[in-house]
Amino acid sequence: MFIIVAIVIGCIIGAIIGISAPIIPYTFSGYLAVAIIAALDSVFGALLGIMKKNFDIKIFVSGFFGNAILAIALTFLGEKLNVDIYLAAIVVFVGRMFTNLSIIRRILIEKWAIKKNEKSK
Amino acid sequence: MKKDKIIVAVTICLICIILVFVMTVQLRTVNETNITLIENMREDELKEQANIWKSKYEETQSKIDEDNKRISEYQEKLENNQETSELLNTELTQMRTILGTTDVLGEGIIIYLQNGEENIISEDLLKLVNELKLAGAEAISINGQRIINLTEIVDVNSYIIINGQRVTNPFEIKAIGNQKYLTSGISSKGGYVDSIQSQNKNITITQEKNVEIPKYSGELKLKTIKIN
Repeated sequence: MFIIVAIVIGCIIGAIIGISAPIIPYTFSGYLAVAIIAALDSVFGALLGIMKKNFDIKIFVSGFFGNAILAIALTFLGEKLNVDIYLAAIVVFVGRMFTNLSIIRRILIEKWAIKKNEKSK
Repeated sequence: MKKDKIIVAVTICLICIILVFVMTVQLRTVNETNITLIENMREDELKEQANIWKSKYEETQSKIDEDNKRISEYQEKLENNQETSELLNTELTQMRTILGTTDVLGEGIIIYLQNGEENIISEDLLKLVNELKLAGAEAISINGQRIINLTEIVDVNSYIIINGQRVTNPFEIKAIGNQKYLTSGISSKGGYVDSIQSQNKNITITQEKNVEIPKYSGELKLKTIKIN
């Protein structure tokens, strides 16, 4: 319960700050996009962790920031080397997001099936 | 245990704030950025645009070069035309001067002929004109009548007709040419002056630096003649 309230409040505050904040130069928006993908990957990882009941806040936070920073760094490096490394980062992160989502879905379906079974009994 | 939960909630809240903040900023950036603005373009896009403009520039440049070449060609032609027309013009003026349809000016002599005991007849004038021509006169006029190649000098009744106009005593003959030659041409011993004076007619010769001779005042029309 606590956590849901925290998420909602966080989302609202973040949105308010984001709307009032100035926009960034278009050149940097590429880095930011990769960072957002990395962060979202961490979030889905965390959701999976919650489902599997092995969620660890330290791993989540470190993964959240670590992945984002790594993604930005790789993108930057790719720009310097004239290789689109950010594509690799996006493929990995988005791929993992799909994997995580499918696992979450399976878990949810299993739970739902168990519940149904229990009800029918 | 509760403390742990609060810490977790606060952390998640913070992370949510960061995530949503960054996402909002990114969305707004993407939304509000005008892709066509140069400052917002990426390097490769700029390169592409630069290439396009470069090729356009080169195209235009080559066109300009071509046009310039053409212009210079035209100019050359124009100059040539001008040269020809100038040449023609000078030639025309020369021809007209020779023909006698221009007012002319130059060193020469003025001869006054006056009736003495005997009247001056056209023969005298004809002879004088002939002598002057022989002495190298370039333009001759009698009482303002320019002598051209088709000028007639004839007696009609008691008048002398020159260029269809009546001229009367006294006669003022102007001639442009070398003063020395002209003077000596007509005043040599036993020459024109002597013969005129022996006929008891008055003649005086003055040399002048600036003799003005008017142009032929009539019309020069060719009716029957054709260029062969």
